[in-house]
Amino acid sequence: MAMEAVLVDCINTSLRLYMYRNATFLCERLCAEFPSEINLQLLASCYLRNNQAYCAYHILKGTKMAQSRYLFALSCFQMDLLREAEVALCPRNEPNPELPNGAAGHYLLGLIYRYTDRRKIAVDHFLKALEMDPFLWAAYEELCILGAAEKASDIFGESAVLRLQQKHLSWDMSSKYSESGADDHSTLLGTRSLSANDSSPRHLKQLHDNGHREIAAHSQGTTVGTGKGTQHSNSGPPNVSLYSTPSPVSTQFSAAPPPLYRNAHAQSNMSMVGGEGSPRSAANAVNQAPRKKIMDEGKLRKSSRSSSARAAYSQVSGRLFSDSGLRRSSRLASDTSSQASSNASHVGGNGPSHSSAKLFGSFPSTSKMNSGSGRSGTARKGHSWSTENFDEGRRIDASDDAGSDDMAVSRSAISVSGDDKTHLRDRTNSVIGVAPNSSRIASGALELLGLLRTLGEAYRLSCMYRGQEALEAYHKLSQSQYATGWVLCQVGKAFFEMVDYLEADRAFSWARRVSPYTLEGMDIYSTVLYHLEEEMRLSFLAQELISTDRLSPQAWCAIGNCFSLQKDHETALKNFQRAVHLNPRFPYAHTLCGHEYVALEDFDNGIKCFQSALRSDSRHYNAWYGLGTIYLRQEKFGFAEHHFRRAFQINSRSSVLMCYLGMALHSLKRHEEALEMIDNAILADKKNPLPMFQKANILFSLGRFDEALKDLEQLKEFAPRESSVYALMGKVYKRLNRPEKAIFHFGSALDLKPCATDAAAIKSAIEKLHVPEEIEDNL
Amino acid sequence: MATESEGEDEGKLPGILNLVVDDDLREMAKKAAWSVSSCKPGNGVHFLRDDNLETYWQSDGAQPHLVNIQFQRKVKLQLLVLYVDFKLDESYTPSKISVRAGDGFHNLKEIKMVELRKPIGWVSIALSGTDPRETFINTFMLQLAVLSNHLNGRDTHIRQIRVYGPRPNPVPHQPFQFTSKEFTMYSSIR
Repeated sequence: MAMEAVLVDCINTSLRLYMYRNATFLCERLCAEFPSEINLQLLASCYLRNNQAYCAYHILKGTKMAQSRYLFALSCFQMDLLREAEVALCPRNEPNPELPNGAAGHYLLGLIYRYTDRRKIAVDHFLKALEMDPFLWAAYEELCILGAAEKASDIFGESAVLRLQQKHLSWDMSSKYSESGADDHSTLLGTRSLSANDSSPRHLKQLHDNGHREIAAHSQGTTVGTGKGTQHSNSGPPNVSLYSTPSPVSTQFSAAPPPLYRNAHAQSNMSMVGGEGSPRSAANAVNQAPRKKIMDEGKLRKSSRSSSARAAYSQVSGRLFSDSGLRRSSRLASDTSSQASSNASHVGGNGPSHSSAKLFGSFPSTSKMNSGSGRSGTARKGHSWSTENFDEGRRIDASDDAGSDDMAVSRSAISVSGDDKTHLRDRTNSVIGVAPNSSRIASGALELLGLLRTLGEAYRLSCMYRGQEALEAYHKLSQSQYATGWVLCQVGKAFFEMVDYLEADRAFSWARRVSPYTLEGMDIYSTVLYHLEEEMRLSFLAQELISTDRLSPQAWCAIGNCFSLQKDHETALKNFQRAVHLNPRFPYAHTLCGHEYVALEDFDNGIKCFQSALRSDSRHYNAWYGLGTIYLRQEKFGFAEHHFRRAFQINSRSSVLMCYLGMALHSLKRHEEALEMIDNAILADKKNPLPMFQKANILFSLGRFDEALKDLEQLKEFAPRESSVYALMGKVYKRLNRPEKAIFHFGSALDLKPCATDAAAIKSAIEKLHVPEEIEDNL
Repeated sequence: MATESEGEDEGKLPGILNLVVDDDLREMAKKAAWSVSSCKPGNGVHFLRDDNLETYWQSDGAQPHLVNIQFQRKVKLQLLVLYVDFKLDESYTPSKISVRAGDGFHNLKEIKMVELRKPIGWVSIALSGTDPRETFINTFMLQLAVLSNHLNGRDTHIRQIRVYGPRPNPVPHQPFQFTSKEFTMYSSIR
């Protein structure tokens, strides 16, 4: 038994320090010696962290516990066995199963449904995930990609805050009953929002379920057993490592060290009532010291939360707690909630409580509390309720709280008076410590929600291809948030989709300066450079990306773009195919393959590639566009028009798309619509010469020569060195029977060095100028 | 056009060792069907296309020796290049080559006749039609006929053959291609 505990301890330390081989080896010994499902889960998490999903798959096959099923589903997902993953998460005989790990489970399930093309259900699951955990950004991102996101203020707004507060309430509820520290998963992941009444039996039930787990898996790794936001950052290795589910609140507490919990659990194992014991002294780091102070489990948890909150917030130069304490108590006293009065009485009684200093830390958050006062009021209400109960219930020995040497980091200005008094104060203060902490959490959460709201709205708009609005939204961020790799890449992407390559270039190069190791979004940057025909910079970018990570699809896309720019389409194709192999779910790699096939005139393979891209992301307008161009070349104009229209419906701001749609309509002889669409294209982007040229071409073919000439004259002003403009003008003049003008323009066109085909065409046109129209051959 | 260092009027082409082809030309015959009139076992037709100058096709029959290139559809062709080496092949080196084009075996017409003088390296043959302004021929099939060899050799060695034609317009159904950057930047979505 003891060996098991020690083994688990070692494994968790190894995991925490990223020594995966060590952890795996020890864990295998653990499972051999003490076979149990909990240990299997730990082993699976070792494998998953070591990128050996197939091992985890095999050991967890057939397991039934919630966490096991979650890990199993994760392994299946990584091995691309989506069917099995789905079955694991939603076993068929359970009509309405509760998903393991709440929000994370819904998120994983959403991903599975997304990749098996069941969009609606996927959207439902992502929404549920966000309901449970409003900080689950990844789920919101998926919603945006699927095109189903609602306004960010709905998701990250009022309702989210209310839900958070309920969870705060349940945190406190659960904390009180966490004798053995076995609080199921953090309510922040909250599959259940505990109410004070229910918490007890449920907790006991959870304890029962998880006590076993508690004992076996002490680390932050399986914080499933250690409830509350604190552990959240550590909850379940798959969460941490793969989905970054942790709530931001918990990241505040990320300083919460495993040894603490080890201690906690060790304590719980050895003595249900928190007693002073050697484990505590075993806690190593200085910053954990203050936490050691707290004796009983409940306090342990709360204080760990609070002290880590302190770690997050505190300035080392302490402030005398007394002031803040008074302020806090007065604020609490003025709280309008019904129970505030009772709360206040508690608070009042505590006044300057010294040891609480370590609990409360500094108070930059006080102002935040004020700002969030309305809401945090409710939070406090909830807490005060719990506080009351807490008070009634417990009288757990706080004997060692006075352990003064452990207070090294705390506000040393506070003198600790007589033991009993401090004990009493400690306890009540730790109780009170709950309330302000939760309010602080609430205000921190609010701030975070605000940030996520801005980012979410901006991201949603950029996924809707409303570039201008998205850019405005991004500008609402603070300078420090704006000047980060992710945001700048999104800005660059927005410019790219609005066909403003110069601005996109600027944004992306800023992004590279800020975070040169970021690879996401660099595929788009390489395309921007491709459009700008910047060979040197493109090859430089490609080299840099490859040296950063040879296994990233973006790097290979960049290299492929390099070759494509040099017209070596076969090599480009090979590189894009490598990108596809590295990540078959990366739609852009497929699209680029498709473009290369088109350049090589291999239309069948091109169609296949574009369709694969659409399978991963049906809103990938580039793929719709690619299909349209293929059909245009194959003269299947109806199909071409359909595909261009689909692309246009997704991205309605791209003047190039509008232009191509116009061209397809023109080929279908729907001239009026074509001209209308082209006019829209011209309006959408004044700098784009393509629609003007196409319009002139269409007018020419419709016989409206003078209008065509007018447009071409305009175009000539805009781009005086473009050979095709002169060539087309030459043709028009020829038709208008003005040979001198025609020759002049043909000559200019030739001077501007057109490609060989055009040069030949122009030369023969000049030759035939003196031949009357009727016997002229096709020009 | 490929860089050449002689006048075309003479019809005597030396070879160049480094082949430089214009950017707006691309190799056209990858999807074409290649066949030969005869070959020695171990020196078959695929050595003409293996990008390896050490390997060669060797004929094994009566003159003229024929290399037939058949395309799936009518293509515009501008340039034909072949690699021969007098130093290595001596009497196997072709000296008189006739290039014919047409729809199939039944209606091939000669479009070019060239004579080689001890060539070492790539020999480029421009495929313009009779009208010198037309730089392309539009055809289904190309036939390269070796009429005679140096030193009156019977069989011939050819080490590599490539066929070039113009690139398609990146913007489909447009009369002319764009030349300036402002236009090409906007001309497509990637």
